[in-house]
Amino acid sequence: MVGMSPKLSVSDFIALTNQTLEYAYSSVEVEGEVASFKVNQGKFVFFDLKDASGSVGCFMMVFQLRIPIEDGMKVIVSAQPKLTQWGKFSLTVRMVRPSGEGSLKKSFDLLKAKLDTEGLFAAERKRLLPVMPRHIAVISSTQAAGYADFIKILNDRWGGVRVDVAHVQVQGAEAPDQIIRALDYFNEQQDLPEVIVVIRGGGSADDLGAFNDELLVRRIAASRVPTLVGVGHETDQSLADLAADVQAATPSNAAQIIVPDRKDMQRAVQYKVASLAPRLVHAVDERREIVRQTLFEAWQATERQTQQANERLAGLRQVIAQLDPHVVLRRGYAVISGEQRQGGRIKIEMHNATMEAVIERYDKRR
Amino acid sequence: MTKDGRTIQEKMAALDALVAWFSSDEFILEQAVEKFKEAELLAAEIDSDLAKLKNDITVVKQKFDAQSGQ
Repeated sequence: MVGMSPKLSVSDFIALTNQTLEYAYSSVEVEGEVASFKVNQGKFVFFDLKDASGSVGCFMMVFQLRIPIEDGMKVIVSAQPKLTQWGKFSLTVRMVRPSGEGSLKKSFDLLKAKLDTEGLFAAERKRLLPVMPRHIAVISSTQAAGYADFIKILNDRWGGVRVDVAHVQVQGAEAPDQIIRALDYFNEQQDLPEVIVVIRGGGSADDLGAFNDELLVRRIAASRVPTLVGVGHETDQSLADLAADVQAATPSNAAQIIVPDRKDMQRAVQYKVASLAPRLVHAVDERREIVRQTLFEAWQATERQTQQANERLAGLRQVIAQLDPHVVLRRGYAVISGEQRQGGRIKIEMHNATMEAVIERYDKRR
Repeated sequence: MTKDGRTIQEKMAALDALVAWFSSDEFILEQAVEKFKEAELLAAEIDSDLAKLKNDITVVKQKFDAQSGQ
């Protein structure tokens, strides 16, 4: 029986083993706790994956590591088992994702702290969105409820917008790369959209994990076109939300943010015009008041002039009255006319009688 | 863009200018009624434009999965 066994060189044996492994386990997912994590030369990642009774070495390239990991974290690796040329068995890892709530939270916190230090979430990086966009891009799964909510609210609120939609996976291992490709696609268009909206409805922390992918978060922050991200429910917050120019609580909220409400605008327009009528009435009243005031002042001036004239007239009347001879006669004086000589006849006129007399004596004064 | 070539935003700006005229030093009572009618007409146009507007939604043909060669 021994003679029937093939005799192989070491290299052939390793190649045959790897061929067999590839045939039997082209891809495996292994869950375990990270230990002895290290990065060599800034390019190569090594760690062990262990559980209570076993441990297996893992190898991957730095660029494949899309989430931060550290010793003690529970992860799931997608990998291919291999025997190295030095005869050491290891898993060549393509992708790592955190497993369990604790690890998801840990991974989220580590990446958030890292990107925050780099200033990716800084308020001064945020750009304003256009008030009435005419061309927007949407990245979502067209089969998702969140997308349907977004489109319904968008159509209810506003119109006249060109909406280009990129249909992508919004959960699972493929999702981050698909969303990144869609972001690149819209950022490379000659006719750039005014804003890129990334939306996904609610889901478990694992479902929403795609939006905490480091490359995706960086690409959202680096987008030429301003971004609006609405992922999950009100209570969910992803790193993609934080990196976006504007974050929405939900896909419906994203539609409320991106376009104004036509009903609000119709009401505002009606109010603007309605507010003009009182202004017009007020302007007429104002002019009427000015005319009334002017007339009143004219009347007052005329009254003043009349009074002054009356007062002058009264004065003159008084002067004239003083000059009237009858007034003098009434004071007891008499007017005497006739021949001024002894024996001359004279006429005496008093205020209540006239009489004639003869001058008995006439002495001329010197 | 509406029939007369002006966007709703442009019409809104024109309406705002008309409204501002009523509070400006340029206000002339003799022109006010005419301007008021102009504002009413513009408001009706904006209202109608808003009611008619529809979005143009297109799902792009580009595929974003790894197999599409992106």
